[in-house]
Formats: sequence, structure tokens, C-alpha cells
Amino acid sequence: MSCSTNLDLKAYVVGELARGERAVVEDHVRGCHSCREELDRLNMTRAALATLEDEEIPRRIAFVSDRVFEPRWWQTMWRSGPVMGFASAALLAAAILVHGFERPIVSVTKAPAVDTAQIEQKVEARINAKLDAAVAKAVSDSQAKQAAEFAQVLNATETRFERQRQADMATVQQAADYYQRQLGRLVVASNAEFKQ
Amino acid sequence: MIFREVEDRDLIAKARRGHVEAYNVLVSRWEKRVFNYLLRLVGEREDALDLSQDVFLKAYQNLKKLDDPAKFPAWLFRIAHNEAYSLLRKNKPEGEITAEPRMDDASGGLFPIETTLAVRSALERLSQDHREAVLLKIYQGFKFEEMAEILACPVSTVKSRLYTALDLLKETLAPVNSGGSQ
Repeated sequence: MSCSTNLDLKAYVVGELARGERAVVEDHVRGCHSCREELDRLNMTRAALATLEDEEIPRRIAFVSDRVFEPRWWQTMWRSGPVMGFASAALLAAAILVHGFERPIVSVTKAPAVDTAQIEQKVEARINAKLDAAVAKAVSDSQAKQAAEFAQVLNATETRFERQRQADMATVQQAADYYQRQLGRLVVASNAEFKQ
Repeated sequence: MIFREVEDRDLIAKARRGHVEAYNVLVSRWEKRVFNYLLRLVGEREDALDLSQDVFLKAYQNLKKLDDPAKFPAWLFRIAHNEAYSLLRKNKPEGEITAEPRMDDASGGLFPIETTLAVRSALERLSQDHREAVLLKIYQGFKFEEMAEILACPVSTVKSRLYTALDLLKETLAPVNSGGSQ
């Protein structure tokens, strides 16, 4: 190459020159035979290299998600400053809204005038009712208790009377037997005297 | 620039929050480019595939370290570059990282097979650094600054490597007597 210019033809061929620099090279090679020849050879080399096409990859490369090593949702959120900030702000806003809607309504109302006589009557009536009920219950309990005791005493008396009656009957029977035997002896004796 | 309904930066943001499916979409967009870059760098299809998987796994694990999502492509290819060189260092003694990729069974294009074969042969003859500069610039379309990030070297070094590689390729693919001048 006999041209003494300092143009970077290789940079031109590989696309490293700016538009203005490219124009300078193109202007120069129109009038410079040696540079044009050099540029043609470089372009031919570039074109020849372009004939070598890319191969398809024999096997696709892919990665499988392994949940053991993946961060949990809360870890991901925890590590993310913006997400944490947004979540905090959202939580605060929600708390304010809930508080606003759920807050108990405080109202000031005038208390009605107190009727003490009426209250006393009501209280007295309630007390009386309770007393009546208690007395009735006590009377009822007492009557039931007395009836039970009476029945028990009656039962015991009847039992005792029955025993006494049976004893008396036995005594009467013994007396009757005795007089029967005595009567028998008298009859025998009288008959004997009569025979004599 | 191809318009995408969901930008890479959105997928990166989701993947950073643990959305594996978002990352899978991102992988599907980039796997072919990464695979071909690695294939032309290391030369073995299985190695390139294994490296691609490692690259995307490391990228996922380190996604939170990516400061600027706009730099994802260069960042991803930086990982790919490191993974490729780790393998090449493992396979070659220290200081002899001159892998010669075997691209003889690569699929052909619509261009004459002679041209494709000539390109493969010319690329194979380049040194690792020169070939990588061509791959990143010609096939992946990175800017010099991005290439400097991927290769962890100054832009001047990147340009030097690429220009040397182009001169070498030019001698093979566009010789002086081949009718390059009209």
C-alpha cells in the first residue's frame, strides 16, 4: 500500500467509525487506487468470514426452579426496600381507615329525670314478691316435712299395735287353753265321783 | 437492533428476584451466540455445550453482581471467555494455549463450500488471541470497548489483535491476485 494517509480502513470495515469519519474514508478511496484496493480486500475478507454460519445448539439449556433454594415470599419482600416501604405505608393507611370506620360513636344525650318514688315502688314490689315466694316455699317444705314425719310415726304405731295385738291374742289363747284343761279335769273328777 | 417485547434488563431484574423462568427466557436468547463463540474457540462441540451450561449457571449465580444490566452481553461473554480459557489451560500446558478448533464437521451455509472451508482453515491457523478478537468483533458484533472488558485488556490491544488477524485472514481469503481490485 503506497498511500501515506492515516485512514483506519479496518475500523471502517468493522463498523467502528462514526458517520463523519466514514464519509472521509469514502471520499478518499474514490481517488486513491491503493486504498480502494485495500478496502476491497478487507470487504472481501469480511464477506468470506460471514459465510460461516452459526450452528444450532445441540441441546437447549434450561434451569429448573428448586423451591428449597428459592427465597420465600416474605424473604423476597423483606430484602426489598421499596416493597417493604410500600407494604408498611399500605398497612398504616389500612389501619387508619379501619380505625376511622370502626371507632365507637360518642354522643352526648341528656339523662331523663329520675322518679325515685316509682323506683322505690318497683324495688319494694320485687322484694315483696321474692319474700312471698320464699315464705311459700318454706311453708310448703315444712308441710311436706311434717307429713313425712306423721306418716313415719303412724307407721311405727301401727307396727307396735300389731305386735301388741298378736301378744294379747297369744295370752288369751293360753288362758283359754288353761281353762279348757281345767274344765276337762273337773269333768273327769265329777264323773269319777259320780261313778263312786 | 431487534425489538423485543420484554427487554433483557426486565428479564435480568426478574431473574435477580428468583424468577427462574425469566432467566430461562434470557438463556434462550443468548445460548446460540454463546455456544457458537465457545465452539469456535475450543473446537469441540461437547466441550462447547458443557461450557455453555457452566457459563449460564455462573451467570445466574452472579447476576446480582452485575452493576449495569445494559452491560449483560459483555459481562456474559467475559464469563464465557474465562470458562473457555480455564478449559484450554486444563488441556494444554502453561503458556501453550493455542487450541486449534476442529470445525470440519460444522454445518455449511448457502455460500460455496470452498469459501466456507477456506474460512475455517484460515481461522484455525490464527492464534487463540487473534481468533478470539475476530469472533467477538465479526461474529458477535461487540464494540472495541466491550471487547476490552471481555478480554480484560486495553482497547489498543484489542485493536492490535483484530487488525493483525484481519491482515492474516486477508492474505488467505482475499489474496492480491484474486481480483480484489477492480
